[in-house]
Amino acid sequence: MKRRTWILSALGATGALVVGWGVMPSRSRLGSPAAMLPTQGDVALNGWIKIAQDGSVVLAMARSEMGQGVHTAWAMLVAEELDVPLSRVRLEQAGTDSIYGNVSMLLGSLPFHPLESEGGTKPTKVKVGEWVVSKLARELGINATGGSTSVADGWEPLRMAAATARASLVGAAAAQWKVPASEITVTAGRVQHASGPSAHFGELAQAAAASTPAGVVPKERKDWKLIGTAAPRTDVLAKTNGSAGFGLDVRLPDMVYAAVRMSPMLGGSVASLDSKAALALPGVQQVVALDALHGASAGFAVVGQTTWHARQGAKAVVAQWQQRPQGALDTQAIAAELQGQLERESGFTFFDKGNTDATEKSASKVVEASYTAPYLAHATMEPMNCTAQVKNGTVEIWAPTQIPSSARAAAAKAAGVSPDKVTVHVTLLGGGFGRRLEVDFIAQAVKVAMATAGKPVQLSWSREEDMGHDFYRPMHAARLKATMDAQGQVQSLRIKSAGDAISPRWMERAVPLLAGPVDMPDKTTAEGLFDLPYGFAHQHMAHVATTMGVPVGFWRSVGHSHNAFFSESFIDELATVTQKDPLEFRRSLLQDAPRYLAVLNLAASKAQWGSALPAGRARGIALHESFGSIVAEVAEVSMEGGVPRVHRVVCAIDCGTVVNPAIVAQQMESAVVMGLTAALWGKIDIAGGVVQQNNFTNYPMLQLAHAPVVETHIIASERSPGGVGEPGLPPIAPAVSNALFALSGQRHRSLPLVA
Amino acid sequence: MNLTINGRTVQTDTPADMPLLWVLRDQLSLTGTKFGCGVAACGACTVHVDGQAVRSCVLPASAVVGKDVRTIESLGSAEQPHALQQAWIAEQVPQCGYCQSGMLMAAAALLKRNPHPSDADIDAAMTNLCRCGTYQRVRAAIHRAAGASQVTTAKVATQAQEVAA
Repeated sequence: MKRRTWILSALGATGALVVGWGVMPSRSRLGSPAAMLPTQGDVALNGWIKIAQDGSVVLAMARSEMGQGVHTAWAMLVAEELDVPLSRVRLEQAGTDSIYGNVSMLLGSLPFHPLESEGGTKPTKVKVGEWVVSKLARELGINATGGSTSVADGWEPLRMAAATARASLVGAAAAQWKVPASEITVTAGRVQHASGPSAHFGELAQAAAASTPAGVVPKERKDWKLIGTAAPRTDVLAKTNGSAGFGLDVRLPDMVYAAVRMSPMLGGSVASLDSKAALALPGVQQVVALDALHGASAGFAVVGQTTWHARQGAKAVVAQWQQRPQGALDTQAIAAELQGQLERESGFTFFDKGNTDATEKSASKVVEASYTAPYLAHATMEPMNCTAQVKNGTVEIWAPTQIPSSARAAAAKAAGVSPDKVTVHVTLLGGGFGRRLEVDFIAQAVKVAMATAGKPVQLSWSREEDMGHDFYRPMHAARLKATMDAQGQVQSLRIKSAGDAISPRWMERAVPLLAGPVDMPDKTTAEGLFDLPYGFAHQHMAHVATTMGVPVGFWRSVGHSHNAFFSESFIDELATVTQKDPLEFRRSLLQDAPRYLAVLNLAASKAQWGSALPAGRARGIALHESFGSIVAEVAEVSMEGGVPRVHRVVCAIDCGTVVNPAIVAQQMESAVVMGLTAALWGKIDIAGGVVQQNNFTNYPMLQLAHAPVVETHIIASERSPGGVGEPGLPPIAPAVSNALFALSGQRHRSLPLVA
Repeated sequence: MNLTINGRTVQTDTPADMPLLWVLRDQLSLTGTKFGCGVAACGACTVHVDGQAVRSCVLPASAVVGKDVRTIESLGSAEQPHALQQAWIAEQVPQCGYCQSGMLMAAAALLKRNPHPSDADIDAAMTNLCRCGTYQRVRAAIHRAAGASQVTTAKVATQAQEVAA
């Protein structure tokens, strides 16, 4: 397929035709008051904002808080426009209206090179692609938290909704007081006129609801008081006294608990179950068989008085399992097959510039390298769980989910009811990282709840089930080849990689509306390879999409997580070959990418690149764009007892306009630690179909004692907001690996670094 | 069995081998203490038994009969937050927050036996896992609670800086 053709057909052309985006006018995301939950005493002014009687503001929260700070960041946008203190904004879970769908997340799947949109105006093909996908996304209304898009997606609609609400309130006051609206001020939630009258929002809400002001625009940047400040997070208190409510903390009257065991062989099924011994145990109530639901392996759940009783019961069930019909999965075999396909197949070309073939033929020197990265588990601290109640034809679920719209659909399907019979309560998430964009555990909970005679049931996975039944970051392999002319200048760069595509499989499991009859090329496979900022005259990047059968899913920063290791390590190799300093080499290739250069320079200067370090320490640098933000990291590394020790990581980021710099810093720290854990040790092996790692004892995590000091430096910018949750992750593996090379002269081309 | 939890005596219908974690969470609805791994590897379930930090997911309930069990719910109160809770807020430690009860309980036990821990003391005591990577803020918050001015350890840079491009 030609690249141009599939851009327009990407992301479920079938779904697009069904909803008829082509003939519909663009739709506002302001929404109507009816979109909000009706609550006693509150007055909704649009689909996002309600005013309470006491004058506080209620915001419809359509994104899940999993540590990234969206509850604070979104509330800040609204507090800014309404001129209320942040503490006066309360959150209420958003309903099911399509205004709450995440448009930016689908836009992020377009495979355009980011340099094409660096200038003031975007090329027509980018505009057309974005227009089409925005339309589609707006119609589909997929409410999801992912792709580092929450602030980018809420940026316009939330500020507009709050600014419109403010204008309504001011308009109501102006009418009551018979003064011009332009003479009215709003300070800390109080509406005032210089002649004396004043009122809080609650006193004006009813009157404000009667009008929808026209011509409203959000505040100018110079008038911001809150946006751009390091406002304290609003969720910290509850997270220091045990009161924060995660999925596993839901407690309901008469609730029972369910433990799950699935086929230890991925994709396997149940041959036979003997429940006698389990049911004889005290506190064990039921055994419920579970089909393979939404990508999970088949198995069963045991219902008991407490989680512990249920787990004792689950252990006591004698289960015979059957291997998947296609044969046992095995990561060694998959690794070999991946190399074979990488060799044989030409793959899909994501980027082609100049004439790489001809340049390679006339080259004076060729540099080639092969890189690999393993499967990874998400290992959220809170294992998968969902609480469900099925009663009188209705379904209620309480779930730590990143995708409530799909959770609702999966619950409805499991219970055999229409989606309008399902209520979804989104709890806090004990980590997400992409794992909770899946709905397997939702459907399981509903299936079990259908068997408990109306009693609510909390279904949870043990750590072993969680690690053994993840949707893993796919294994990838890549070949990189550069050529040089007689003067030693790099002329061409060719990258070909291979691995499973995530998006088509995820759509089938979690968003069937988007799934097409054939797999479209998936940008997430090639992101971080086809979109490099370096000015090589000739470039060719292709990806071979494989189907190895291991369930694969979105893992924090997705393709970038391994591709940055491939590309930024290889760039370092080229610096070595051309006998240039790694920083200088990158600088020399960034003539057409000034923002990248600025980020690189900021990180280098803050890290005092080139200055002396204590003996036995070295620095490595990496630069990578992902999710609309550019990050450079400099890692200071030594070896301790044969294991790399990262002492300090200096990060520079250009994420466009910053809503809360303190949260940006937190996310950089977070991404560095998670990425470092993966870089040092992260690896999932499968033998005989069984995942070999089953707990933190053999899937180790970085601990406090070895955590580096992370510093964050932010480029001031007036561009629209980019992502923050993920972009800090991709550069850490290559930065550390490049430092290890500087230290020892040994080049790592395979993750994890500690074999 | 009769247990003393957060200063109160409670009677529960608990099998002797049931881990304390599930008594707290599923029988007493004290859900601040978390399940993370079930094998005492992550520390999310950390509580105090007679003032010592223990991992409650592998500790049979029968082993704490007659002992003083304290959970995150009793670490401080809204009116009188524990110094660590204040420091946690000041340093903006939590992200997803799931591991933080265990972190705080481990840190509280550390400060009780060692009011001014060094970095090495903190390294040794704080083996709880955090997938969000809050570690450097945990360290900074413990130092702060212990009286940061007396600490001359490596400076922890958590301050984001705006720098002109």
